[in-house]
Amino acid sequence: MKERLLGMLGIAAGVAIAFSASGALAAKCPIKIGGMAPLSAPGAVTGGEAMRDAMTIAADEINAKGGLLGCQVKLVVVDTEGLPERGAAVMQKLIDQDNVAAVGGGYHSSVGIASEQVAHEKGVPVVFAETWNDQITASKLPEIFRIAPLSSEASAVYSKFAATVPGVKKVVIVTENTDYGIPAAQETAAGLKKAGIGSVTFSVDIGTQDFSGIIQRVKAEHPDMIITLTTGEASLNFEEQAAENGTGPGDLPFFCDQIGLESKLFWTNVPDGNYCFLSRVGLPPAHYTAVSKSFLKRYVARTGKRVPESYAFEAYDSIMIIAKAIADAGSTDHGAIISALEHISYDGALGTITFPYGRNNPPAANGKEDKWWHQFPEPAITVVQYQKKGQDSTNAPVVYPPKYKTGDAVFVNQ
Amino acid sequence: MDNSGLFWSIVLWMIVWGAVGGVVTPRVYLRKDLATSDAKLAGAFVGAAGGPFGLVPLWHWAPVLRGRWTLWPAVAAVGLLVVAFDLGDPSNLCVTSGAFVASQLTNGLIMGTIYGLMALGLTLIFSILRVVSFAHGEFYMIGGMVVYYTTAVWLPGAPPLLAVAVACAVTFAIGAVFERLFLRPMYSGGVERPIEYAILVTFGLAFFLQYTVQALAGASPVKAHRFFDFPRLRLPGAHDPWLLKSSAANLTLFDTVSISNPRFTAALISIATLLALLYFLYRTWPGKALRAVSQDQQAAAVAGIDPDRMNMLAFALGGMLAGLSGATLVQAFSWLPQVGMLPALRSFVIVVLGGLGSLPGAFLGGLIVGLVEAAGTGCIPDPQRAASYIPAYGMIILTLTLLLKPTGLFGRAE
Repeated sequence: MKERLLGMLGIAAGVAIAFSASGALAAKCPIKIGGMAPLSAPGAVTGGEAMRDAMTIAADEINAKGGLLGCQVKLVVVDTEGLPERGAAVMQKLIDQDNVAAVGGGYHSSVGIASEQVAHEKGVPVVFAETWNDQITASKLPEIFRIAPLSSEASAVYSKFAATVPGVKKVVIVTENTDYGIPAAQETAAGLKKAGIGSVTFSVDIGTQDFSGIIQRVKAEHPDMIITLTTGEASLNFEEQAAENGTGPGDLPFFCDQIGLESKLFWTNVPDGNYCFLSRVGLPPAHYTAVSKSFLKRYVARTGKRVPESYAFEAYDSIMIIAKAIADAGSTDHGAIISALEHISYDGALGTITFPYGRNNPPAANGKEDKWWHQFPEPAITVVQYQKKGQDSTNAPVVYPPKYKTGDAVFVNQ
Repeated sequence: MDNSGLFWSIVLWMIVWGAVGGVVTPRVYLRKDLATSDAKLAGAFVGAAGGPFGLVPLWHWAPVLRGRWTLWPAVAAVGLLVVAFDLGDPSNLCVTSGAFVASQLTNGLIMGTIYGLMALGLTLIFSILRVVSFAHGEFYMIGGMVVYYTTAVWLPGAPPLLAVAVACAVTFAIGAVFERLFLRPMYSGGVERPIEYAILVTFGLAFFLQYTVQALAGASPVKAHRFFDFPRLRLPGAHDPWLLKSSAANLTLFDTVSISNPRFTAALISIATLLALLYFLYRTWPGKALRAVSQDQQAAAVAGIDPDRMNMLAFALGGMLAGLSGATLVQAFSWLPQVGMLPALRSFVIVVLGGLGSLPGAFLGGLIVGLVEAAGTGCIPDPQRAASYIPAYGMIILTLTLLLKPTGLFGRAE
């Protein structure tokens, strides 16, 4: 009698556990992944919309292949407005209200710096797609990963390229007062100084429209080259207004913001922008992987654009790499995802992404600076130049570095 | 700055004696039973320009404070500031280069003309309806959007002036309909708290217009093509065009002053509009009726002027003026649904400076703000801060105006 009662209790307990377990499993579906992007001013809306589209493509692709761990994936996109306080707030919302497994995306460095602290406090993994400030990874937070290039590495490209331009002795840098713009300008200036090139930096607020006063000051400096480190619409305003004042891409070597890679947008807003140089993060078209090509096809079909921008590639990869980490971990546990990311090797649109330096392999132990913590070490950065009015950026020749070069630069002042 | 101590000492001296003059002069005049309406402003300028050497005679003789008692001390104070700057930073471009100063001032005047036109609309609305329209920036934005879509999407190749006319018609219509539906209840006793109601309803209109345009047009920046290209001119000769040199996008006068094509066109249209507006207000019956209502609504009603029709005309006309400003500037700046925020803020500063309800005040205020912004951007020694402080210049003017002459330069005390 006693044994029978115990046996029935055991069966009942087992059934209860099975139901509760299945209930728990059902409660974890769908798996939510957060996506941060600036979707309204003063953020770079054009960049944000591109990233949103790219992340949505990634989520749709994952679901089309059956989802993750038996669940569909739900992408929760939040608008950071390009403001750090807003970024922190939406990160809080993603974690507390939406219970995301991880977060991807991110455009503005100031948003990255503010929001990573929130993620760190909650132990939620983040893969930043387009935030460049070195400090974001130099802070060595266990949850933070980045596939965008380091600002210092991107600035090195500007200064190394400037050193190849004949006759450049003085460069004017026009940057923005943000956590991206100020350090980027300092790093670029330092790189130029090492190359024996002098520089003067002007900074403006994000979203500035009227550059007339600054352009007169730029002209008064008699620069041999101009480098734009403003982003979004402000960069378009500066580039065209500079051209209208005789100090634009058609007058001297001029580095435009990467938003110009969206060719239709660029030529609409900067019709006098021919001969602009632009830096592009990610593999050049000739080196696209199968994943790059597949994403390109989907992105063009969805957006009607001719080519994905570099931040679109990055945003896509940020979601896909999170998905792979969840699959590798076999769990949506934050710690497990972080661990999976640290050991990951993901073949994406940007190439093969790894994070070689982290808890298991500290940067300092390898003679590397802290900024390499959880940093994708080799995002390709190339310089292209528009050499024909109305040109598509995919047809624009890669003029630097020599490894990816497909054509010679045209120096308008030569 | 080479001699920052000297510069800041002089500025501090001006601030202290300006404050003393602003505080003590009204009391002196009150004790002498004299009009005190301009005492604060005149006292502040006399103190700033002459210190105790100006204030003691002013207090002793206490002359009637007509316009020249404000104007000439203000000019002297500005002159003293210029001298202080010359002594404080002799190597500054604003001191060493007359050409640079000329360019900056020309830019300032051109942009001030356009700002003034937009502010005219705002002050016209206030002078008739006693309503501050918080949707003014959105009329500006819609004017630009209509021109872009007319010339680039709906009727590609359409004459730009036709597009401007369409923009005027659209913004006029929106203003008229809005006034009829939402503001008329204020005067017909349908609203308990009309002032608060007007603020809320115009805010609501602002959000509605902005987000409707964003939903319809998207958030990517657009830009209209230049209305026309300058002919290529070299005067007096191709070998030495010291008088005038022009390219499609730019005009250079006396080898000194550089004016971009879009701004030149916008300024011309603004001046033509201003002259047309003056003719309308002073030579046509509806214009005279508007002015009558602005002076005394009840007396105008007794004289047979329909206040409801005048209210509608004022709001529609005011919105149209903002739309016209946007219509002329969409060829100069990249245009977004949020583009109207900064110009609206600037319009409020101008209207407070010039005097709420004063049309000449609004135009003069626009010129002053344009010049101050140009001077600040051009002359602040630190290039990293010069443009960052642009929003602050307007706020400084606003603060000083509210402290010294709350009714504005030409405003009437209620």
